[in-house]
Amino acid sequence: MSHDPVPAHPGRREVIKAGVAAGVSALMPWQSARADLREVARNRTMILVWSGSREGRWVDWDLWNPYSIGSNHQNGPNLIYEPLAYYSAFGDKTYMWLAESYQFSADFKRLTIKTQSGISWSDGQPFSAEDVAYTLNTLRDLGPKVRWGVDAQQAVEKATATDPNTVVVDFKISAPRFFFFMAYKYDIGVYIVPKHIFEGQDWTSFKHFDPAKKWPVTTGPWQVADASPQQKIFDRRSSWWAADRKLAPLPAVERNIWLPFAGEQQAAQALITNQLDAGTGMQPASFPTVFRQNPKVITYTGGKSPYGYMDWWPISLYVNNERALFDDKDVRWALSYYIDRQQLIDVGYLGASTASKLPMPPYPPLMPYFEAVKDLLAKYDTNEFAPKKADALLAAKGFKKGGGTWTDVEGKPLKVDIIGFGAAGPAMGPVLVEMLKRRGVESSMTLPPDFDNRFQKGQFDGAIYGHGGSINEPYATMRLYQSASIAVPGAHQANFSRWKNAEYDKLVDEAYRAAPDDTKKLTDIWRRAMEIWLPELPDIQLVQNYHRIPWNTTYWKHWPTEQDPYVNGAHWHLTFAMVLWNLQPA
Amino acid sequence: MQAAYVARRFGVFLLIVWLAGTLNFFLPRLSGQDPVLTKLLQQAALGGYVQGGIEEMTREYQQRFGLDKPLWHQYVTYLEGVARLDFNYSIANYPRTVRELIADALPWTVGLLGTATLLSFGLGTFLGALLAWPRAPRWMAWLMPPLWALHAIPFFLLGLILTYLLAFRLPLLPIFGGYSAGATAAFSWSFFWDVFQHALLPALSIILVSTGGWALGMRGMMVTTTGEDYILFAEAKGLKAPTVFLRYCVRNAVLPQVTALALALGQILSGAVLVEVIFGYPGIGTLLYQAIRESDHFVIQGIVFTVVVALGFTTFVLDVIYPWLDPRISYRRA
Repeated sequence: MSHDPVPAHPGRREVIKAGVAAGVSALMPWQSARADLREVARNRTMILVWSGSREGRWVDWDLWNPYSIGSNHQNGPNLIYEPLAYYSAFGDKTYMWLAESYQFSADFKRLTIKTQSGISWSDGQPFSAEDVAYTLNTLRDLGPKVRWGVDAQQAVEKATATDPNTVVVDFKISAPRFFFFMAYKYDIGVYIVPKHIFEGQDWTSFKHFDPAKKWPVTTGPWQVADASPQQKIFDRRSSWWAADRKLAPLPAVERNIWLPFAGEQQAAQALITNQLDAGTGMQPASFPTVFRQNPKVITYTGGKSPYGYMDWWPISLYVNNERALFDDKDVRWALSYYIDRQQLIDVGYLGASTASKLPMPPYPPLMPYFEAVKDLLAKYDTNEFAPKKADALLAAKGFKKGGGTWTDVEGKPLKVDIIGFGAAGPAMGPVLVEMLKRRGVESSMTLPPDFDNRFQKGQFDGAIYGHGGSINEPYATMRLYQSASIAVPGAHQANFSRWKNAEYDKLVDEAYRAAPDDTKKLTDIWRRAMEIWLPELPDIQLVQNYHRIPWNTTYWKHWPTEQDPYVNGAHWHLTFAMVLWNLQPA
Repeated sequence: MQAAYVARRFGVFLLIVWLAGTLNFFLPRLSGQDPVLTKLLQQAALGGYVQGGIEEMTREYQQRFGLDKPLWHQYVTYLEGVARLDFNYSIANYPRTVRELIADALPWTVGLLGTATLLSFGLGTFLGALLAWPRAPRWMAWLMPPLWALHAIPFFLLGLILTYLLAFRLPLLPIFGGYSAGATAAFSWSFFWDVFQHALLPALSIILVSTGGWALGMRGMMVTTTGEDYILFAEAKGLKAPTVFLRYCVRNAVLPQVTALALALGQILSGAVLVEVIFGYPGIGTLLYQAIRESDHFVIQGIVFTVVVALGFTTFVLDVIYPWLDPRISYRRA
């Protein structure tokens, strides 16, 4: 028997072996093992790509409590939690959902909601008015700790379930738009959560995700079947209360898979090869290539420009009304006159956009309000390209043009440094800068990473940004320019352009108190407000924002189109469930 | 091995970690950005809505994250946390913790970049050695120009080209993602195969670019080594060519490569951001990139600290094992 000497220390081979073992053990790229999903055929599966602003992964894959601040309803919760009502601005139609009806008191200080009976949560517990009251009261109590908490806290005194199907909401202030606020449309709406699950939980940190318990628990037809940084899978339940009541058909889509966005080129390639059914927003330049290689891909406007539908977010060049020079309405108008919107669209969007006349989109329910200020818009044409008028306005203010640049009475050049973000900044910013420079206005364009901070704090001369305002009546847009409110004590003002006008503020409060469906009264207030707003031009109107979403009809048809505009089709919006129950196998 | 030597190296390792960790704490704060406000505003901008009470929400969560405390207090809390490997919550993804986010991303990065780095190291080192070996086949000389050319191409550009060719035009491999849509993570061969297929393109782009670098380095060392007297002596003794090549030339020339490999392995934790972005790979590189964009100080701190520890640790391990690799090196002080 040989006796090998015992080594005093590990040899090279041992060290290498240990290293290899450690390396292999690190190659375990999964968070949880889920092999219990049933097979669903590709032609019954709808695959889309989206991940908000986070490329390549779902950071929030286990966050299904839509009220925690790290959660984002755009990333899936929009699909599973049902609202009291849906609203489609394209059809100007309210679809009563968990609520059967609602009634305001004459002073809008009490709202009585009748909820549907016979609805169950996905764990079998009955849905009732208690869930609605609990959601509202908790939002009121938590206030700034959760999403929509401040809005609820400002308005709600208390919500009481007087019987299993009746909720009475008492308000601190007159709140004529509170039901509309709660209804799902675009990115605004209150998610009704199950009291028996959420009660006793800390809403700020509760995740509401446990596959073993079939959480999240919702009333909708979609069950979160799997979630990981790679994908979110929603499987259709076998039955759904809304289908039983004939409110909507049981979706033909049996499985909905949400993949994280990996880049526009990758999305286009996956659409062409039928690996995707819906992409996220794409640049106009990409569409002809995609259409050529896969004729089954369509958009809201088919294969025609602008390849999408008009979003609720018209884009402006905001100028900081608190800064010298831009605090003068004539300077703001001069800048507006220097902008050739058509050229901006032709160069920035390859012609695939339209100019915006007012800071709200010309949706059908808003058209009466556009009509009401038609004559004012003729007088104060916010889209007019008139460099000579601009020159005259500046000259009248004492500006002088020397060496091709306008200077003020103190000899300082007229200068607009513009900041931007997202897709609109790079698309329009350089074109705007060049237009202004050619007319003698010094200008520059940057896309600072802290755009939001700077924009919010007023640290800008000019900024390219949109308006999330009105979609059915003008109050929400009017409010965007209000500097102080008496009607809504403690209200937080957006007022990005930092424009102040006491008379205008009063009119906004007057609009707040008016019933949202009192078109006559609102039209009158709106017109009086525009008589102030238009001559002042707090921000400079540029273009409409379009959602250019490619949809693949290889497996699924009946996407929302201009021929059948049942709803806006963005899968990140709160109304996406409506698209899913409308889709039919191709 | 001398315990004093190891203790000394370990002390240096701890010092490096503390210094880098301190810089890591203060640097993100120099931007002056308010991470909570940034998060809320970005979310509002993404949704297009104007949410009420952003200032109140900002105050609430600044308090919750301890960002309302004096800087020195935050620093002490941070040091206490990192000592327990607790990097606090992610500001942008609350209530997810930084540790959870890193745990989600790390296996993907280690799996992809670790494998790609080891493969490119092995391949590049071997090719580099052969390229300088006088008895290597002549055709090998033709390998050098393409290796150089590929080495000059950035990962992401090659990634785009490979995607177009191998995933789009010839649909041999998946376009993006870590595994197929609808597949579920499981300990099964089919899932392993799926993950492997998805890793091929990004790994290939890294390997093709990196191999040239490793080959160049090895070739340079081999040229020096093959001129050494001990090689001549080995040949004069009549040792077989493969023995001379592997045990005398490669063995001695590979030492600087091993040092570089250790550093490269430490650095893989910071990810290959653009490769991960292009291939939709949920690794640590994109996580860091997103954290910087969102001013998520705690995530930045967590990732950078992990990278610092990994780099410091690999350097420490290298210091300790070097005498095994090269018997000429001693633990004793000169």
